[in-house]
Amino acid sequence: MAQFSVVGQRLPMVDAREKVTGAGVYTDDLVLPGMLVGRILHSPHPHARIHSIDATKAAALPGIVAVITGKDFPNRYGILPIGHDETALAVEKARYVGDNVAAVAAVSDQAAVQALDLIEVDYELLPAFFDPNETMKAESNWIHDDKPHNIEKEYHHHFGNVEEGFAQADAIREDHFFCPGVTHVAMEPHSTLAHVEDNGRLIVWSSTQVPYYLQRTLSNVLGLPMDRVRVIKPLVGGGFGGKSEVIPLEVIAACLARAAGRPVKITYTRDEVFYAHRGRPVQVIDLKMGVRRDGKITAVEARIVQDGGAYCGYGPVTLLYSGALLGAMYDIRNMKFDGYRVLTNRPACGAMRGHGTVNTRFAFESQLDMLAHAVGIDPVEIREVNLLKPPCITVNQLRVTSYGYPECLRQVKAKSGWKEKKGKLPFGKGVGVAGSHYVSGAANAIVRSGTPHTTIDIKANPDGTVTIFTGASEIGQGSDTMQVQLVAEELCLHPRRVKLVAADTDRTPVDLGSYSSRVTFMAGNACLQAARNLKSTIFSVVARRWNVSPDQLEMRDERVVLCDDSGWSMSFEEAAKCAIDHLGEVVATGSYSPPQEAQGGKFRGAGVGPSPAYSYSAQVAEVTVDTETGQVTVDRITVAHDCGRALNLMAVEGQVQGSVWMGLGQAVQEEMIWSQGLLMNPSMLEYKSASTLESPEIDTIIVESVDPEGPLGAKEAGEGSLAAIIPAVANAIYDAVGVRLTSTPFTPEKILKALREQQKKVAQRNGGSER
Amino acid sequence: MSMPSFALVRPRAVDEALEHLARHGAEAMLVAGGTDVVPNLRAGLFSPRVVVDLKGLGDLSGITFDRERGLEIGALATLTAVAESQLVRQHYPVLAQAAGTVASPVLRNMGTLGGNLCLETRCRWYNQSYFWRQSCGFCLKKDGTVCHVAPGGKRCWAVWSGDTAGALLALDAEIEIAGPAGRRRLSLTDFYKNDGVDRIHLGRGEILTRILVPATMAGYRGTYHKLRIRNSIDYPLAGVALVVKVEDGVCRDARLGLVAVNPAPVLVREVESLLVGQRFTPELTEAVVQAVVRTGKPLTTSMSTPEYRREMLRVFSRRALRELWRENGSH
Repeated sequence: MAQFSVVGQRLPMVDAREKVTGAGVYTDDLVLPGMLVGRILHSPHPHARIHSIDATKAAALPGIVAVITGKDFPNRYGILPIGHDETALAVEKARYVGDNVAAVAAVSDQAAVQALDLIEVDYELLPAFFDPNETMKAESNWIHDDKPHNIEKEYHHHFGNVEEGFAQADAIREDHFFCPGVTHVAMEPHSTLAHVEDNGRLIVWSSTQVPYYLQRTLSNVLGLPMDRVRVIKPLVGGGFGGKSEVIPLEVIAACLARAAGRPVKITYTRDEVFYAHRGRPVQVIDLKMGVRRDGKITAVEARIVQDGGAYCGYGPVTLLYSGALLGAMYDIRNMKFDGYRVLTNRPACGAMRGHGTVNTRFAFESQLDMLAHAVGIDPVEIREVNLLKPPCITVNQLRVTSYGYPECLRQVKAKSGWKEKKGKLPFGKGVGVAGSHYVSGAANAIVRSGTPHTTIDIKANPDGTVTIFTGASEIGQGSDTMQVQLVAEELCLHPRRVKLVAADTDRTPVDLGSYSSRVTFMAGNACLQAARNLKSTIFSVVARRWNVSPDQLEMRDERVVLCDDSGWSMSFEEAAKCAIDHLGEVVATGSYSPPQEAQGGKFRGAGVGPSPAYSYSAQVAEVTVDTETGQVTVDRITVAHDCGRALNLMAVEGQVQGSVWMGLGQAVQEEMIWSQGLLMNPSMLEYKSASTLESPEIDTIIVESVDPEGPLGAKEAGEGSLAAIIPAVANAIYDAVGVRLTSTPFTPEKILKALREQQKKVAQRNGGSER
Repeated sequence: MSMPSFALVRPRAVDEALEHLARHGAEAMLVAGGTDVVPNLRAGLFSPRVVVDLKGLGDLSGITFDRERGLEIGALATLTAVAESQLVRQHYPVLAQAAGTVASPVLRNMGTLGGNLCLETRCRWYNQSYFWRQSCGFCLKKDGTVCHVAPGGKRCWAVWSGDTAGALLALDAEIEIAGPAGRRRLSLTDFYKNDGVDRIHLGRGEILTRILVPATMAGYRGTYHKLRIRNSIDYPLAGVALVVKVEDGVCRDARLGLVAVNPAPVLVREVESLLVGQRFTPELTEAVVQAVVRTGKPLTTSMSTPEYRREMLRVFSRRALRELWRENGSH
């Protein structure tokens, strides 16, 4: 194993101190002279035509500087080029409770709130759609006129031949799974500050994971050339996907700033965060799988309906992930996927940690457990029987290079005491195993072009420091720290010599954003390349001075060293100064584009799923079920995550544990509860994210498969471990009490009901013999 | 959700607070720890012109115990103070336990026992933002005319969601109320009205000042079982508080209070007559369970279903009885 000095350590995040002390600056902390408060009027109706809006009374209220409606900014936008169906404010229809109808900029929050009450909207109520299956049967009043029967998108993929596959199976199961919507609940509510400078340039500070997409969208909506828009991302208090597309307030704040001629800040209230949503969709999954007697999977067929809410957002991508990532986990030769993204009158869904893969993985790993029991094979073993043999291309044309999943399974099996526990614990206690995986960045950009997915500049400074200029967005996941570490490692510098300027579209080169777990792989590789280029520039100058060949030089412990017995060396500071004196400025660039071979197939929808590398996770959950209350307590979790190489042990463990914990929330208690179009629990009190008391001991194992293309072998660590915990808990509940839950969350009520039904069946089977 | 505008007054003595109340009448509102009032203000559920902050009434936070007079707790004693008080833990353990389950440590540091006994009732159709309530056409508890829990009905079923009231009812507590006419004492059972809107017998000009638990109840075994989704933060979805006095396996006294299932905390009165003079039997337990579910009537006021909450009333009652008898060394 290669020896590293900075990589592989337990380094605190470079921004940890300011976050912990409260000194860190988030968007809502920013204040500009003359700044106004922006507030949004939301639709109280799930589906309504807007005949007219009268804002005269609101505009006349003292302290109100601007009132805008949809007609003022009618340009359409959306994160996907095929889904431009949103406008800054509703133009003709409101499509969900919480849809954005008008907005005001005022000198105080009180005035703004008062003004909202004075805006008169003439609504005509329309029939609304809430059920994902029913909405597809609609013959009229479609949510978007150009989406007949409320179907946003459908895909039908067939690889191999499932009919033949099922014919070879010794056991086949068909099961129905249901997952209600869940949402991110990032600690920081979304916030945007927008200001149109005197020269007409728009400058926007926003809590975003995608500053460059935001820049692009603002340029579209406001009709400004890209160079007239600058986006800056201050500290972000968590994203989890909820800030990975343009969120309505970002556009509205910019529109208000233009209308008011003064800076405008909007910070969502917590319930507005819930209405903005963009979280995991309601998903209905019909899954069919066949296995041979030896456990080998012969065919998989999935019909997936995703209730996407009222706008497209990332919809088709979410849907495609749910089908495509049936593929890169196990060796499956015959696979069929029918997917529907449907529209309903609810807030739009979008990307959420584990994007698209989580609910399908719950269904798949649950059903695999059922089939293991059906053919009498241990659940760990049935997974081992179906392993991929990388490097390989899967049947749906995903390229898998490194594959630590077998090692993950081996480790969790050993460390959890699986053999001693599986099927052997007393009634009420059980263990369950499951696996999951995720992409290390999408191999294809959202907007296809030849531009690298990320570019990094590194500048050497005369004081012996270097500055990284990066577009990558730190959202709490540790991307700043990761880049500092890689550059310090490559240049043999102490990390304190590495400064970082990030995510400012005026000052940093383009990075696509913090989504699809792409930053370590892509920005990391670009950082290494830029650092190597910087080193070679400096070496060429030093070599000339010493009259030696540059390839005789290397960096060791903050010094440029001549590799012979001369003992010549020079401090990095001196070398940097020398190079700057000679060249005027020393800046090097690195970039990353995924290789052609990783970009997947050519069929419709093939663009989503391919990645330069996949992370893998295996987990064993140990649970106790209280058979009187139905309450499940997760006592212990053993997780092994293949992240290629752990660049920062503490960061990787934190990400893996965070994923497991977040998945656990969906497994046992989180769900968005609806009454028609009304979200019943839009608060942190009633939306049940886990508290520390529901956070069990998580035994975290890091598996390093050293990816051939990852930066120093690294892959993603922040998402791949989320999905597996859900089926692991479901499987453990089955092991504990013999009931199978096919819908999340596994509430006490559901478990109790299943237990009662089971008792009834047992009683019936035993006939009258006992009574 | 922003805080509405109001004047904040901070009296230093009870009389001064009473003067403010007398002066502002219906436009005044009391706040102690603020853990219930503040979120409700932000949601637009109240719009007082004057908020009277009681935190400055320092003489109302003491906890004292006397073998003759029993336990006296100032209404401003924090829930943390009650939960951690050696006196309470030793003589009235069920109260310490119940206080220790309220919300989370941070909220217990702020919230007071008096406040917990005067909580606003809660309902999933009521504890929502102004915008949300507007979307569903409001409800009869606030700004509207219909009840979404019992459509067609004219009564509000918003549920009593305090934890400590069940324990204090079981402990036969009294409260002291200060008003324009001086101080009066009231049995806690008479404090609650079982009406989701007009929940307590506390007049406009009055302040709850003290909680008193009789000396005769000291040393009773007690337990509180609370249903909630998370083990912290959450309000109860159902709660059973039981206290018993058992000698040689025979029950000498028993009282059982319920919270979070009705618009008021309630004492299940049959429990005493069922249990006194009896030894523990499964049949007796079931009789208590029947009495409990006859009294506790959960409706669709919260995120958990009435059926499940009713079932947990059964489970908790059984468990509480088993636990307390067993602690007394016989069953």
